[in-house]
Order: sequence, then structure tokens, then C-alpha cells
Amino acid sequence: MREIYLSGFNTFVLPFMFGMLFVLGWCLIGAVRIIFQLTPDDRKKFFLSFLNPKIMLKNIRDWFCDCLFHVKLWKRNKLLGYMHSSIAFGWFMLIVIGHIEVFLYTPQRVHQIWYPIFFRYFVAVTDSTMKGSFFFFLMDFFLLVVLSGIVLAIIKRARSRIFGMRRTTRASLTDLIGLYSLWAIFPLRLLAEGFTADISGGSFLTKSLNLVLHSFLSDQMNMLPTWWAYSIALCIFMCILPFSRYMHIPAEILLIPMRNAGIPVRHARKGISRLQVYSCPSCGVCIDACPMGVVKANSKDATVYLNRQIKRSNERRIEEISDKCLLCGKCTAVCPVGVEGDRIRIAQRSIRPYNLTPDYSNIDENSAILAVNNFVSTENNVVSNTNNERVLYFAGCMTALTPGIRKSMESVLRKAGVSYEMMDKDGGICCGRPMLMAGRKAPAKEMIRKNTNIIKASGATTLLLSCPICLKVFKEEYELEGIEIIHHSEYMDRLIAEGRLHVESSDVRYAYHDPCELGRGCGIYEQPRRVVAAAGQLVEGAKSGKESICCGGSLGSLSLGFEQRKLMTENAINNLTADNPDAIVTACPLCKTTFGRYADRPVVDIVEVIDSKTGN
Amino acid sequence: MNGFGFRLSPSSAINLDKVDRSRFEELCSIEPDALRCMSCGSCSATCPAAQFSGMSIRKVLLNLQRGKEEEAFRLMSNCMLCGKCTMVCPRGINTRRIVLTISRIYEKEEKR
Amino acid sequence: MKEIIVIIGGGIAGLEAASNLLKLGYSPIIIEKSDHLGGHVANWHKLFPDLTPAKDLVDELIASSKDANIFLNTEVSFINRLKDSYNIMLSNGISIITKYILMTTGFRLFEASKKEEYGYGIYNQVITNSDLEHWFNTGQDKRIDESPMNAIGFVHCVGSRDEKARNSQCSKVCCITAIKQAIELKEKFPDAQIYCFYMDLRLFGKKFEDFYTKAQRDHGIHFIRGRVSEVGENIEGKVIVKAEDTLAGKPIKVTLDLLVLMSGMVCNPDSSKTASMMALPIDSDGFLKSSDNVFHITASPKKGIFYAGACTGPKTVPETLAEARSAVLDIHSHITSQEK
Repeated sequence: MREIYLSGFNTFVLPFMFGMLFVLGWCLIGAVRIIFQLTPDDRKKFFLSFLNPKIMLKNIRDWFCDCLFHVKLWKRNKLLGYMHSSIAFGWFMLIVIGHIEVFLYTPQRVHQIWYPIFFRYFVAVTDSTMKGSFFFFLMDFFLLVVLSGIVLAIIKRARSRIFGMRRTTRASLTDLIGLYSLWAIFPLRLLAEGFTADISGGSFLTKSLNLVLHSFLSDQMNMLPTWWAYSIALCIFMCILPFSRYMHIPAEILLIPMRNAGIPVRHARKGISRLQVYSCPSCGVCIDACPMGVVKANSKDATVYLNRQIKRSNERRIEEISDKCLLCGKCTAVCPVGVEGDRIRIAQRSIRPYNLTPDYSNIDENSAILAVNNFVSTENNVVSNTNNERVLYFAGCMTALTPGIRKSMESVLRKAGVSYEMMDKDGGICCGRPMLMAGRKAPAKEMIRKNTNIIKASGATTLLLSCPICLKVFKEEYELEGIEIIHHSEYMDRLIAEGRLHVESSDVRYAYHDPCELGRGCGIYEQPRRVVAAAGQLVEGAKSGKESICCGGSLGSLSLGFEQRKLMTENAINNLTADNPDAIVTACPLCKTTFGRYADRPVVDIVEVIDSKTGN
Repeated sequence: MNGFGFRLSPSSAINLDKVDRSRFEELCSIEPDALRCMSCGSCSATCPAAQFSGMSIRKVLLNLQRGKEEEAFRLMSNCMLCGKCTMVCPRGINTRRIVLTISRIYEKEEKR
Repeated sequence: MKEIIVIIGGGIAGLEAASNLLKLGYSPIIIEKSDHLGGHVANWHKLFPDLTPAKDLVDELIASSKDANIFLNTEVSFINRLKDSYNIMLSNGISIITKYILMTTGFRLFEASKKEEYGYGIYNQVITNSDLEHWFNTGQDKRIDESPMNAIGFVHCVGSRDEKARNSQCSKVCCITAIKQAIELKEKFPDAQIYCFYMDLRLFGKKFEDFYTKAQRDHGIHFIRGRVSEVGENIEGKVIVKAEDTLAGKPIKVTLDLLVLMSGMVCNPDSSKTASMMALPIDSDGFLKSSDNVFHITASPKKGIFYAGACTGPKTVPETLAEARSAVLDIHSHITSQEK
């Protein structure tokens, strides 16, 4: 292999160099800004995470699996996964192998960063010295991989359903420029390398193209314009990148270690939330996932559009989108890059100014403290109360409106011989989660403080909850050292496993609905299923588990009215009744009330099922 | 005035001629359902804050429409935003949004 | 030949229409889904405002319509539109060809268990208005203790004027029914305090207001303006009702031995099913939609199909009977105008 130009430079590399330096500079400044926007503690945590080999290993795995192979998209749809990973991984390999070639054959050019990109313009190979044929083959192969991805991308623009997507993102102007320049880069590269393949050498793709081209274009001078065009396409893409969805490529590289370091969303627009916004690839997976999408107008309120509006600082739309959301967390669960749509929205709500702030100074928790020191011991049925377990049962606000749940829970506790006490017999203090969902942290903290005092004073060993909304906030925000926080579905699972509850099985077919805050919120999927399966035949909805559909009654949404939720509830019911179950079972009082309004079959809570199927 | 054994307190009577409705209208432009309350009292009966401040979103809306804003703010001060009132309202009024909107668009007297 | 008129529904509207059609010389056929005639009224004890026994009314109606063709335990399987008549296929295999159909399909009582916060089906002391009438008639209900009661409550508007229960309309008769039942219970349990929790008292009919006054003055029944939002249970198994006394502006709580839920009238799903066979329009409240709500309440937009009674919305007994006669007159004038 020899060089054919002494300088190793041609003016056509200038556009590329301009774009490259621009995008590198932009990303570097952006990364530094984001890291400095973190709180000092978070920043320390972030830097220290690089010293932890376990996290570092996970980083490396995630960089490969998420950025290059798009594993999560593969799981969703093979074609969609191939499309994304062929472009990402193919391009990555082109860059890597390009650099290897330079290192091996023209090491004196390593410092010229354009050299690997335009390698084949600068070198020549004679038939007798086909040293690079292996790499030439690889380069052609990966170029073909990328091109196949581009072809699929073009098809996807027209027919997204083939890729398992009902609705796709409406592209913005900069996205379109980015998209077309990206589509142009690789065919132009093929053309340019095709023109020079008889000089520089090539492989199956470029060589054959060279033959075709020379059959009707014999003038060598044709090759220069194609190299120019290739360089200009790269320049356009890199210059538009920070203003388009392709910003996700560099942003995700930083997001992965930050996510693995466990940095939480703290501010509406700064630090990791800004990074998440820029990491959004606008793939639109969240549009189909969003339960509000049954009303077509709501599909413009999916997380992908929130991210876009945050980039544009369109405050009116940011407010509208973040207030409407049910906070079911499904967009977060399906997002291939890990944008936390629900947390970002709560953060947007948290920066809203309020003239009136609540004042809970006259809410007196002392009377409640006196009332909780009176554990009901069920002497008639003391089975295995070996560990001095004292259960404090907090039914929650919503359960006050579903007395069936509360009554069955108490009955089950008595049957199992559990020593328990009600925390909110005559109404209690709200757990604080609904206030947190509205983004008002200070008043929520005050409620949390008061409830903490009551719970600690009770001397309970276990805090039992019927409402998953409460469960999440108790687990995440309360500091109750030594007190186990447990949802009634988990607790019954344990009682059954320990043999303290004897459930009679039946033929009734129950479809289990995963409440958002229990499943996606607290990761509890298996325990309630085991409990339901003990009492009857467990049936799954069309979508369940991580992808279960919100009942539509969520307290997360601040602006959705009662009527606007109807279609969402009906859609969720249709999803659950796909296999024609006898009854719908849920584990949340709010889901129960919401489904109960529109369902054509009984809707029961898991504890009611167990109570009715337990003898003793 | 002492000799009569009674006096007119300015706050005990409502003079509709003097009520400034502009902010309530702003509230209604955001959440028109604020006008649909039929004062059934479901919300107040279920409200966990009611026992501390007498909170009742029904009364808050009524007081705002009658120009008694300070009283409305006092009632609202203990609202925990738990959503029970939204759940029980037979008219399906989004009471949580009303509370949040009032907190944003109204201001206390001393601040104005 | 006598004109055949098919009446779908053997409640009081259907019976009254049949008896009047017979008088005019037509041949009515009554199709009744259940095993008895008289519909909801047949299960009632006494009717307001004169406390007329419901049985007397139903017996009289049955007697006067006995010459009609009556199919009990029969439903409409399907209806075909012919050129200028209808072919009705019944569940017992009989098919009828007729030019005139009178829908008297009535209403259904709201399922009180759908409002879980009121505890119907959860607490033992919670019953509905129709359970209470059943007890008046038979004296049998495990939930009602014959021993003296201290306090009894009535909740008005259960499933009525309630968008959450998907019924925004007023059921019209519950206010007066609650007052009637409160008086009847007071007579049985003179020492009990009786509380009626209402949103608005709508006492529009003849002598209704007198009835209300009587309940207040002669029976000492307490009327509390406030909708119940929660019902709980104390250790002794009594129910605790939480409401707001909206006139006093204070939350109110009371312990009761018995709570009666005034389930409202909602559209009858069988009515909508039959209506869909003839492509009849359904109104936003779920009831059948008349041609207009002032001048042609008994007319449907389809030729030869008429309505009477609670299939178009909640009605009192006298209103239902009047509508049945009015529908008969409509059918009669339609037939005579055709003959000319």
C-alpha cells in the first residue's frame, strides 16, 4: 500500500473537519456543563462510580448493548432492532476499522483525523500488493450493513407498522435535515469509494461498483465531486446534530454511566434531566405505549414530544404535557435509552410557582399516636406469632372509599392470627405521594414527617399497606429503620407460603391487573400472581407486567378530567378481558373503583379474593 | 354604636355588587367545571383535612364566588391533595386541579 | 280484522295500554320477560302519596287486560323490518307480524353495590329501597332486626345525578319514596331517629309537599342536606355514615342500625337491546329517545313504533299510566287515519 499524495490533504476534507470540530466542541462543553449542574454529592458519586469495577463493567456492557446493538429494540421488534443496530454498529465498525487501516498502513498519518474517513482517496494499491484485502472486505461488508439499515429506515418512514409501531414521531425540521443527511452519507461514501476503487483498491461492493461506473464514465475527474459530496453530507449531519434528535448519540454515552451511578432526577432542566432530554432518540416507542394515546389528540403529549418542547423551551406546552400525564411510568419502562418520562414530568411540575402554600401546623399527629398503641391480638387463632410481629395497617385514603378491601384485609389478618392495629381508623394523614406527584415537595415532606412520628410511636414491626400509591412513597421517601414496609399482596403471599392462611383453589378465571405504582413503581409482579394462582386460575391480559395499561384513574394527572379518562379505562379493560376471564383482580383501591365503573364483569381486589376463598 | 346591642360587621354580609370576579373567571377559563358544583357536600364529608381546618372544596368555591377569598385560603391551607374529593364528586369535577390553580392564580391580601 | 299490536313489557304501562287497546277493539299481545306481570310495581308495597297498596293497582290492571294475548317468560329474539310491518321472532319460537309495536320496557334499579363506598353487600345493615319494600311485603330479610332500632338513615340519589355512576339524570321518584318509606319505618319503629340525607328535595307531584310536611311535623323525620360520601362500621357492627351537613357547613357523623339506599332508575339494558334491533335512537342518558320531549313523548322516529312509561326516562306511576293511555290514543288515531 502506498500513498498517492504527498500532503495527505485535499480541500474537500475541510467541510468534514469543520463539522467534526464543531460537534466535538459542542459535546465537550455540554458534558462539562451537565456534570457541573449536578449537586456536589451527585457529582462525587458520579466520579467515584468509575472506580467501581462492577459499575464500570456494567457501563461497558450498556455502551455496547444500548448504544450499538440496541438490544431493547431487538426485544420489541426484530426488524426495528436490526434497523437501528445495523446503522449504529455498522458505522461504529467503519470508524474502528478505518482507524486500524491507518495504524497499520500509514502510521505517519495518525494525527490527521480526517485520514481514516477518506482513507481510500489518499492511498493506492496495486494488484500485487493487495495487503489490505481483508480490511477492504470488512469495510465493504459493514458499509453494506449500514446501507441495508438505511434502506429499512426509508421503508419505515412510509410503513412503520412493519416495524411494530402504530404511530411514529412527527419529525421536526432539524430532524429531517439530520435524517436526510444521514441517509446521504453512506450512499455517497459508496459512490466515492466506488470511483476510486480501481486505484485505492476495494472489495466486493466498491470494486463491482467501480466496474459499473467505468462502463459509462471513464473520466477520472468524476471522483473528486463525489468525495466533496461525501464530506459535505458529513458536515451537514454533524452541524445539525446538536439541534436534532441525533444528539442522542453522544448524549447517551454520558447518560449510561450517570444512570449506572444512580444519579436521580433532581432539577427540571439541569443535570441528568437535561441529559435525558438530549438522549431521547425520538424513536417514538413511548407514543404507542402511552395509555392516553387511545384519544388520538393525546399522542402529541408523549414523552418524546415533552423532550422536544423542553429543548425548545416552549413553556406553555411543557406545562400542558407534564400536567396531563398519568405518571403510569410505562414510557420509562419501554424507553430504549432510559429516559424517565414520569420523573422528568414531576420535575417540571416542581418548578411551578405557587402563591398559596399549605400550612399543616394545626394537623395534630399526637391524637393519632395515642390511638395506634392498641394492637388487636387475635387469641382465638394464634398460630405462629413467634417473632413478636406487630403489624400496623395503613389502609390509605382511597381504601376508605372501597370498604370491601379494608374489611377483607382485617378478616384475613384475623384468620391468619396476626396481631395488628389500624393506623387510619378514623381517617389519617395522607401519605404525601399525591402531593409529590404534583411536584410540591415541601408540603409532602411535612406529611411524611407527621406520619413517620405516628408509625415510629406505634412500636410496629411491619407497616402493611393496601394502596400501592402509599407503598411507593413509604418505600422511597420515608425513613423507617427497622420497620418492614409491605403491600398486602406481598404479605398474603408470605402468609400463604408460611402456611398461616389456607386458601381453597377454584376454577374461577382471574385476570390480574398490575397497578402502575405496584408493578412499575415498586417492581412487585410475581407475589400477587402467586396469590391469585392460589385461589383460582390466573389469566394474563394482552399486555401485562411491565407493560400493563394504566386504569386511567391515576392521581398522577393533574389536568385530565373525569370524562377524558373514560376511553383509557375502557381500553385498559379490553386489554384485561382479552382472554375472557370471569373477573378482574387488582391490588389497588383506585384501580378497583375506576375499573368498577365501566367493566362488564366483577372487579375485585386481591385481598377480597383471598378472604372469600379462605375458610378458617 | 354601642347602645344598640348590635352592629353590622363588614365581613358577615355579602355584597355581590362589590365582588371582584376576575380571578374566579380566570380559574373557570382553566377549569370550567368549577362552575358545576351543586354543593352536595360529598367532598367535605370525605376530606381528611376537614377535621383540621374545616376544608371543603365546595366552600372554597362558594367563598371565592362570594368574594370571601381570605376565608377560602384559610380553608384550603390544610389540603393534602389526596384526591378523595375528586373520587367522590358526583359531577366528576377535577377538584385537585382547582386547588392547584387557585394556589397559583390567587394571592393573599398582604402580598398584593 | 282486528289490528294486532305488540306490547313489549308487561309492567304497569304495558297492562294499562293493553286494557285500553282491548276497549278500542284491538288485539294486543303482551311479551313479558319475567314470570309475572306488573313489573317493578308488583314488588312494591304501597304507593305514594295516598299509600295505595301496589297489589290493588296491579291486580286491577291484570284483570282489565286479561283478554290480551300474554306471553310470560318470553323475550324478543329478533325483529325484521318488512315493507310496512314488523316480523317479531320470540324466544318461544312464535313469530308475529304486526304494524304496531309499543315499547313499555321500563327501567332497571341501579345496582347499589356499584357504589362501594356505601357498603351495600359489604355491611349487613345496608339495604336498598327495593329490599325494604320486599321486607314490607313479606317481613323477611335477614338484615333487618325486628328488635327496636335507635337510628335509621336514608341515602337519596344513589346512582342518580351521579356522573361517576354513569347516570346524570334525576330519578324523580326517590325523594318521595324515601319520605314514604321513612314514615312507614317510623310507624314500625316509633323510637328510632330517622335521617334522610338528600342533595335537593324534588317534591314536584300532587300532594308530595304535604307528605314532606307530614314527615317533618308528625313523624319527626330529620332531613339533612348533604350527600353521604363514606359508610364505615364500628366494633359492634353498626354502620357509621359520614356526610356534610351543608346547611350547617359542618361534617356530620351518625351511627345507624339500618341504612337504606335509594337506588335510582337507570335505563334497562334489555330495552336498549330490543331498541337496537329496530335501530331506535338511544338518548344520552341511556333511555330511549322520543321524537321530541314536549309534544311527542310517546312517538319514536320510526313508523309504527311507540313508547310508554319509564323506557324513555324515570316516571311516577300516574305519569306512566297516563302515558300508556296517550300512546294507545296515538296508535288508534294512526290506525284510523290509515283506514281512511
